[in-house]
Amino acid sequence: MTEAASSDVSRPPPIRRIARRQGLLLSRRASRWRHVTGLCGHGILLLITSSSALAVLFIFFFIAKDALPFFITREAGLLERLREFFTTSAWYPSSVAPSFGALAIFVGSGLVTLGAALVAVPLGVMAAVCLSDVLPFGARQLVKPVIEILAAIPSVAYGFFALVVFAPLLQSRGGLVLSVGWWCLAGPVAALLVFVLSDIATSRLTRQRGSRWIRPAAAAVLGGSALAVLMYVGGRLAGIEVGSGTNALNVSIILGIMALPTVTSVSEDALQAVGRELREGAYALGATRSEVLLRVVIPAAASGICAAIILGLMRAVGETMVVWMASGNAAQIPSPWYNLLQPVRTLTATIAGDMGEADHVTGSARYHVLFAMALALLSISFICNLISERVISRATLKLR
Amino acid sequence: MQLGTRKVIDRSFTGLGLVSILLVAAALVTLLLPIAVRGVGAFIFSATVEHRRLTLEHFGRGDAARIEAEVAQTQAARQPVYDSIARFEQELPTYPAARRREYRAELDELKEHLRVLLGPAPEDGRPVMVRNQYGQTRWDRAQVKLQHLLMVEEWDYSDSTQMGQRVLRPRVTHFQGTALEPLFAYVETHAEQMLRPQWTFYWRFLFDDSLDAHIFGGIWPEVLGTLYLTIGSILFAVPMGVVSAIYLVEYAKEGWLVGLLRSCISTLAGVPSIVFGLFGLAFFINTIRVSPSKSVLAGSLTLAALILPLVIRASEEAIRAVPRTYKEAALSCGASRWRTIVTVVLPAALPGILTGIVISMGRAAGETAPIIFTAAFSVGPALKFWETFTQGTPALPWNIYSLCTEHQAVDEIRHVQYGMVLTLVMLVLCLNGAAIIIRARITRKLTG
Repeated sequence: MTEAASSDVSRPPPIRRIARRQGLLLSRRASRWRHVTGLCGHGILLLITSSSALAVLFIFFFIAKDALPFFITREAGLLERLREFFTTSAWYPSSVAPSFGALAIFVGSGLVTLGAALVAVPLGVMAAVCLSDVLPFGARQLVKPVIEILAAIPSVAYGFFALVVFAPLLQSRGGLVLSVGWWCLAGPVAALLVFVLSDIATSRLTRQRGSRWIRPAAAAVLGGSALAVLMYVGGRLAGIEVGSGTNALNVSIILGIMALPTVTSVSEDALQAVGRELREGAYALGATRSEVLLRVVIPAAASGICAAIILGLMRAVGETMVVWMASGNAAQIPSPWYNLLQPVRTLTATIAGDMGEADHVTGSARYHVLFAMALALLSISFICNLISERVISRATLKLR
Repeated sequence: MQLGTRKVIDRSFTGLGLVSILLVAAALVTLLLPIAVRGVGAFIFSATVEHRRLTLEHFGRGDAARIEAEVAQTQAARQPVYDSIARFEQELPTYPAARRREYRAELDELKEHLRVLLGPAPEDGRPVMVRNQYGQTRWDRAQVKLQHLLMVEEWDYSDSTQMGQRVLRPRVTHFQGTALEPLFAYVETHAEQMLRPQWTFYWRFLFDDSLDAHIFGGIWPEVLGTLYLTIGSILFAVPMGVVSAIYLVEYAKEGWLVGLLRSCISTLAGVPSIVFGLFGLAFFINTIRVSPSKSVLAGSLTLAALILPLVIRASEEAIRAVPRTYKEAALSCGASRWRTIVTVVLPAALPGILTGIVISMGRAAGETAPIIFTAAFSVGPALKFWETFTQGTPALPWNIYSLCTEHQAVDEIRHVQYGMVLTLVMLVLCLNGAAIIIRARITRKLTG
C-alpha cells in the first residue's frame, strides 16, 4: 500500500466525505454497516414495542400466580373452593372460620353494570346519532367537548359527587328524585309513542271513512292513557322511601354517566363509518331523516354500536372509586334481585376495600382471594375486549 | 303511513336526539356546579380572626402588629362571656346539691361549645393539639357552631309509631334565672365582634401544608404528590409509547406479530384500573422490590403501565397523519430512514403527540385505584425530590377518598374536600383544555 493511497483512505476529499455522511454515496463496508445498524435498530424498536405485550403478560402472570394459592390449598380441594367461591354468598374473609362465597359480590357487579347500561345505552346511542347526523357542524363542535369533559373528569370526583351530593339527596328526597327522573326519561318517549301509534291506528280507518276528527280523537285517547300511566308510575315512584342513599341505583346512574362518553364516541365513529353513499341512496328514495337513520344507517352500524356498548360497560365493570364510595358495600344479593334501592358490593370495591387490611397478612387466603377476584375481573375484561375487537374488525370489513 | 305523520315522526326523533344531548349536558352541569361553587368556598371565604391568628403563628404570614391588635379587640369583646361564667361558678355553691350537679354538667357542655367556637379560654393555656388551639376559622362554620351553642338538639320519641322527631330548644332555658342567662343574648349579638369575619382570598390553600390532618391549612402535600406521580408516569410512559408508535407505523410490516402486539395494547387499555393496582403491588413492590413498601416510584411505574396504551395510540395517530410527501421528500434528499423519522416525521407529528401526552397526564393525575396499594398515604408531609424513590405520598385523588370516608371529622372539613375535588378537576380539565387547543391549532394548520 503506497503512502498516497493510505492517505487517500484516511483523508478522503471533503466533498466525498460529506456525500458519504449524507448517505448519497456508500462504500461496500459502509453499506454493510448501515444494514447491520438498521437491523439492530429494528430489533431494539421491536423490543421496546413488545414491552406493552410484556406488561399484559406480566399482569396475567402475577395476578394468576397470587390467585392460584387460593384455589389450590391443603385445607380444601380445588372443586370445593371453586364451588364455595362461585355459588355461595357468605363473604366473611376475616372471621375465625373464614368463608369466601363471592356470589353476592358477582351479582352486585352485574346488577350495577346492568343499571349503568340502562342509563348509558339509550342516552349514549341517541346522543351519538344526534351528533353524527342531526346537529349542524357548529353545534357539534360545542357538544363534543362536553362529552370529552365527561370522560376526563376523574372517577374519584364522580365518587365524591355520588357520596356527598347525590346520596343525601336520594336519602332525603328519594321519591321526588325518582319521579323527576321518570318524567324526564319516559315523558318524551311516551309523547313519541302516542304520535306514532295514533297514526298507525288511524291510517287505516281514515282511508275507509275519511272523517277528520278520528285522528285527533285517537291521539287524545292514547295520550290520555299514556299520561295516566305516566302519572300512576310517577306517583308510585314518588311514594318510595329510600332507606339508604348509598345504594345500587345511585351507583348505576353515576356509572351510566361515566360510561356515556365511551358509548357515544365509539358509536359515533361507527355511524360515521357508514358513509355518504348509503345515506344519499336512502334519501334519494324519499326517506325522511328518521327513516334513513332507523332503517339504513343504524342497522349498518349495528356491530360498531354493539362494540361501543361492550366497551362502555367494561368501563362500568372495572370502575372502582364510585362503587367503593357510594354502593353501600354490603355483600348481599338484593331481594328481589332487581331491587336497585338496596346497597350492594362489587368486585372492584371488595378488592380496594379489603386489600388494605389483608396487606399485612400477605400469604393468607384472604390476600389470595382478592387476587382471584382480580383474575375474574381481568378475564371478563379480556373476553369483552376480544369480542369488541372482533366485532369492530368484522364491521369495517363488511362496510368495505 | 301518511306523509304528515312521517314528518312528525322525523321531527320527534330529532327531538329525542336533542333531549338526550340536553340530558348529557345537564348531567355535566349538575356534576360540576356543586363542585365548582363549594370548591371555590375553600379559597374565597369569610375568615375570622382565628384564621389570621393561625396563619401568623403557623405560617408566619400577615401583619403581626395589626393581628395582635385585632386579637386584643376580640379578647375584649369575649371577656364578658368568661366573666359571666366566672360569676356563675362563684354562685354555684349556693344551689342545692342535685341542682348543682346538673348545672355543672351543663356548664361543661357550654364551655366545650365555647371552646369550639372561640378557641381555648384565656385561663386554659395552650393545648397540645393544633385543632384545639383555635376557634372556628371560617365564619360559615362559626355560625353553625353558634347555633349548636345557642340551641340544644333533642329527639322526641313520644310518638312511638314514627321515627324520632328533632326538636331544637334554646339552651338558655337550662340556665333561667342564673348569672349565665344574659350570656346567650350577648353571644348571639356580639358574635361578629368576637370573631371579626372578613372576606379573604386564601389562594395559599394550594401551597400551605396541612395542619393536624387537614383540619386547618392547605393541601400542598397532596398537590405535590399528584404532580410527582403524574410527571413520573409520563417520564416512563412517553419514551416507550412514542418509540412503540414509531415502530408500529414506520417499521413494522403487518403480520401476526404486529397483530398480536396491537391486540396486547388494546387489552392493556381495557384492564380495569384496580387490577393495575394489584399488579403494581404484586410485581413492582413484592417481586422486583423497586422500594421496600409504597413509594412514588412504584406508583409512577404502575400509572405508566396504565397510560402506555393511550400514549401509543395518540402518537400512532399523530405519526400516521404526517403527509407522505414530507417523508418522501426527506428520503429523496438521501436521508436515512431513522434520520427522516427524527428530523422530519417526529417534528411534524409533535403537536399531535403532545395532545396525547397531555390527555394521558390528565388520566394519570386523576386515577385513584392504581395508587391505593402502590403509592398513596392518607397523611404525610410534602416529599423532597429524592424521597420519592423510597416513600409514598399523599395524593389528591386518594385523599379526596380518605377525607370524605375515613377522616374523624368528615363534616367539619367539607370545604377542604370540595377544595381538593375542585383542584383535581381543574387540573384535569386544564390539561384537557390545553389538548383541545393544541388540536384546534393542528386542524387549522392542516386545513389552511
